[in-house]
Amino acid sequence: MSRYEVDKLLRDLRRDEGMAAHFRSDIESVLDRYKLDAAERELLKTWDIRKMYDRGVNPLLLLLANGAAGKRMQDYSAMMNPKS
Amino acid sequence: MAQVVAGIACSHVPMMASPKNWEHLADGERTSLRAGFDRARQILEDSRPDILITFADDHFDRCFFDNLPAFLVGVGEETVGPAVAGFDIPKVRVPIASDLARYIVREGLEGGVDFAFSEDLKLDHAEIAPMIHLTPRWDIPMIPIVVNAFAPPMPTPKRCFDVGAFIGKCVERWPENKRVAFLGTGGLSHWVGPPQTGRVNEEFDRWFLERLERGEISEVTTRYAKYEDLEAVAGNGGHEIRDWLAVAGAMPPRLRPHVLAYEPLKSWLTGTGIMAWSAD
Repeated sequence: MSRYEVDKLLRDLRRDEGMAAHFRSDIESVLDRYKLDAAERELLKTWDIRKMYDRGVNPLLLLLANGAAGKRMQDYSAMMNPKS
Repeated sequence: MAQVVAGIACSHVPMMASPKNWEHLADGERTSLRAGFDRARQILEDSRPDILITFADDHFDRCFFDNLPAFLVGVGEETVGPAVAGFDIPKVRVPIASDLARYIVREGLEGGVDFAFSEDLKLDHAEIAPMIHLTPRWDIPMIPIVVNAFAPPMPTPKRCFDVGAFIGKCVERWPENKRVAFLGTGGLSHWVGPPQTGRVNEEFDRWFLERLERGEISEVTTRYAKYEDLEAVAGNGGHEIRDWLAVAGAMPPRLRPHVLAYEPLKSWLTGTGIMAWSAD
């Protein structure tokens, strides 16, 4: 897991509205810009924030990028605390 | 010679920037915090500062893992913000007290504190949100100092207190007849992004405030020397108490600490407090 590359993508998602729009509409084109392995790509495509957090991705970056990724803030807690 | 004339430490919850978010608070919470910030503003105004030095952490709006200093001093002619728009944070432009900023950096590098510096350091909600209430005319030249409190590994709480003390002594050695106040922002307990997001630990917050009010700094810096221990009780946002400790370190004994307000705000997801050091 390249935590740095995932963190960098999340940071950029929040700051770059154009990139965020592409993330929501054509995610593969955005993922291709970063050095991500297959597992990271899948976690970002499924927006599995809990698994990303458990693998060391910075949680502040996850929270700040959530809206840019097209997700609802009211769903954040449930996504971060999935029922097993 | 310059002198340290006041200190303020407070939360910097971005919601405090917008009046509509204050309406979401319970009446008692709103009244208490409003009174605390009003009192802090008065203390600051009564101290007549020529310069305001701020300790505040970043939220990846200014620094990132590709270049992440422990203590970053803004030394340019002015600062603007917010670095990244959001949370209804207004745009601001404030002159920097560049002479003193550069003096602090040089004194540090020659005297044992390896400051990083920037000629183009912007502000984020950590400075702007509380300063809306504390310096609403935006008329005091400032020196923004960004403390790493969000990207581990971080400077320890004790180190932050010691760096604050170093800067306080720098100020009092500076051969200009200026009055200098300090503002540290962040905390108190809050979890920003982890599974416990929304949790507030009132017990820790009140314990921390009592320690600062009694000058029992080593109780804090010893018990929470390891960041995992602090994070367990105060959240990843609780690391921002480093900014409070830096202010505490900068204060000369003649300025006494007083807690002005504290409310464990579930609606703002943060234990929200404010305290001041003053001659009164």
